[in-house]
Amino acid sequence: MVDAKKPLSGIRILELGPYVALPLTGRILASMGAEVIKVETNKVLDEMNFIPAWSRGGGQPEFQRGKKRITIDVRTPGGLEVFKELVKVSDVFMTNFRRNILDRWGIDFPDLRKLRQDIILMWQTGLGGIGPYYTYKSYGILVQHMGGVSLMSGEEGEPPATINSSYSDYHTGVFQPVAIMGALMRRALTGQPATMESSIFKSGAVTAGPAILDYQSNGRMPPRIGNRDRFSAPHGVYQCQGDDRWCAIAVQTPEHWEAFCRAIGSPDWCSEAVFSTLESRLANQDRLDELVGEWTATQTAEDAMTKLQEAGVPASLVSQGQDIHESEHLKAREFYQPSPFFLAERDRPAYEWETKEGISATNPPRLSESPLDFGHYSNVGGDNDYVFKEILGMSQSEIDRLTENQSLY
Amino acid sequence: MPFQAPADGVLLPPYRILDLTGPDGVFCGKLLADYGADVIKIEPPGGDSTRQRAPFIGDQPGQERSAYFLFYNTNKRSVTLSLESPQGQDLFKKMAASADVVIESFPVGYMKSIGLDFDTLQAINPGLVMASVTPFGQTGPWKDYYSSDLISLAASGFMQITGDPDGPPLRQGNEQSHFPGAQYAASSIMGALFYRDIQGGSGQYIDISMQEAMITFYTDAHPALAWILRGENVTRVGPNSTLVIPLGVFPSKDGWISAGVITPREWENLSQWMFEVTGNEEILNDDYKGGNQDRAPHRDIITAYVIDFTTRFTSEELFHEGQERNLVFIPVNSVSDLLSDPQLEASNFWYELDHPEAGALKYPLGVFDSEEVSPSMLPAPHLGQDNEAIFSGELGLSEPELASLRSQGAI
Repeated sequence: MVDAKKPLSGIRILELGPYVALPLTGRILASMGAEVIKVETNKVLDEMNFIPAWSRGGGQPEFQRGKKRITIDVRTPGGLEVFKELVKVSDVFMTNFRRNILDRWGIDFPDLRKLRQDIILMWQTGLGGIGPYYTYKSYGILVQHMGGVSLMSGEEGEPPATINSSYSDYHTGVFQPVAIMGALMRRALTGQPATMESSIFKSGAVTAGPAILDYQSNGRMPPRIGNRDRFSAPHGVYQCQGDDRWCAIAVQTPEHWEAFCRAIGSPDWCSEAVFSTLESRLANQDRLDELVGEWTATQTAEDAMTKLQEAGVPASLVSQGQDIHESEHLKAREFYQPSPFFLAERDRPAYEWETKEGISATNPPRLSESPLDFGHYSNVGGDNDYVFKEILGMSQSEIDRLTENQSLY
Repeated sequence: MPFQAPADGVLLPPYRILDLTGPDGVFCGKLLADYGADVIKIEPPGGDSTRQRAPFIGDQPGQERSAYFLFYNTNKRSVTLSLESPQGQDLFKKMAASADVVIESFPVGYMKSIGLDFDTLQAINPGLVMASVTPFGQTGPWKDYYSSDLISLAASGFMQITGDPDGPPLRQGNEQSHFPGAQYAASSIMGALFYRDIQGGSGQYIDISMQEAMITFYTDAHPALAWILRGENVTRVGPNSTLVIPLGVFPSKDGWISAGVITPREWENLSQWMFEVTGNEEILNDDYKGGNQDRAPHRDIITAYVIDFTTRFTSEELFHEGQERNLVFIPVNSVSDLLSDPQLEASNFWYELDHPEAGALKYPLGVFDSEEVSPSMLPAPHLGQDNEAIFSGELGLSEPELASLRSQGAI
């Protein structure tokens, strides 16, 4: 029997806020056994309930599995009162609303401390909670360009390379559990709570890396070299048979180069002097890439990858959705699991939504003794009864009254 | 409590973490060290290979001058120890006996081949937490596959959605594949320590696959779901969205600016502003009004109008005036922009660390801003600077024993 206890058993976390980063933090903490209560309202549903647009909500389990989901409209007096009761019984409160909006609702951090003196507060912002941009509105998919990495990608003179995803949100989403667990530990040892502020901007900028030091010291901007590499050649993605099929190849060492030549049948050009050393291959990359591409054009991406890997060369097909879904490797690791989702409709409350079958990734870390929970997937408001009755001890008539006047809606 | 409280103003208890990682996992130890853990980098006697990686401070090569090493090893200590020699392995076991955590990123099976796998170490120290960050994880048919940053970006599918639809999948710069796995390692190590020290659980082993970690870093593109539910492979769309118009990157007077119009109100504001500036009445056309995806049929003409508008301003002008008009323009920053950004300056993001050889430089340490806790401020260690403190001071080795280990090349 696996120990029923989880890393965060007994810890209660109150989550208020939409989108990607904050909910991801909540899901990670829930997978570790925390009771994460997510506060939403049917009146202004998180757009994430509708994503991706073509599936009306199939993406939402990725961010909400394992949570207790309740509906409170914190903008109503009745709703705010219930919310404050939850603050009193929570170890952590985390939100990603901007300060001016929280102020308008009457949610003020020093005041929350009056409700529960030792509560840990995690305030996630887009650009920053204090400082000149604190009221600024932002979108995660654009903030990826603010952290400096876009201008280290792609080719010189081309537009910044854009990732078709809200990428920088994930940095914040995975940083925050470290801070929250650290703060909980610190509180357990010292009795001291902490207030912490994060931002999508900073999370991205932290990863700008050694270029920060190079610029200060040498005044050099990181060169944009596309798929090439300073220390490897051939290095890039090469087109294979089929539509938009590519194989990535990274020849890093003399051994890789020898193995690469063997794997592709030792064509004459492999023994040309211009390709004999890393330096000469780097100097003749245009021609080298052309020749490598001539070989991959005769291969499927899967075959190219397998032949090169078996010979000892770092290589991978550029995975598409189908590859990821059908991957024997990911299946062996049980990475994706079936998950229901709720077909979101804008003009009907969530409890009327139908259920459909989809999938969700598991949280990547595999812990041997306290494995992460995949968790139950609740609908918006699906845990109202449990939270309002069992945690807050509210009566049915009180709940009914506050539901009818749309405070708990 | 069985463990030591964090010092005043520090987030984490001084957990002893033995860091054996290469680039695939090096950020994990850095993050935990920056917030107070006692991370000891175990280097081979000749030094970690990234000490030789250019660029160097002042463009002068030297093992204490690599920008890469200096960045990724802040707040760590350093000892030299050969994991390949029996004496080095014994010494490592002695260190592991009193450590809280071991993190490593060697090829699968390497730790076992040198007799330092989790089972062996756990027999010495039942409370030990050990985390491995590897390209494909410890199990499954691809576990022994060769990898690199590019290969991880490809295998995860991250490249599939990066770049231009008419061009090849694109590598994101700055070795981005080295972050997600390391970040998950840090968060799950914290979970495992919480389990051990707050819940009274045992030590444990953590297996992290960089491929899986990378896949979860673009979850909102739904690669597998899109295949299952609609038989479609999501792909890259280039600098501008094909659905939300305008959303993407546009040229400005002095560089690039990103912008996105999501709500109908934002379009009202933007089209009005564009009309004021360009005098182009066409932009106020009723056909273009609406929300999120309503302008998709007019992508080309609207994009052309937006570029005619954005190129009349600097990126900074668009950023700040946009906010006054409730519009989101976000600058595309270079590293020099970051270093002079007033927001980062105001929110305790930069910490100046003075390194004896590299000098005083600003490091981005402030992932979180807090009045109660702040990052530690030690620069990256000199090679083997803590040998004496650890080997003599803690393990109690005598000078002759150390001399013998040195002559055998073990330390």
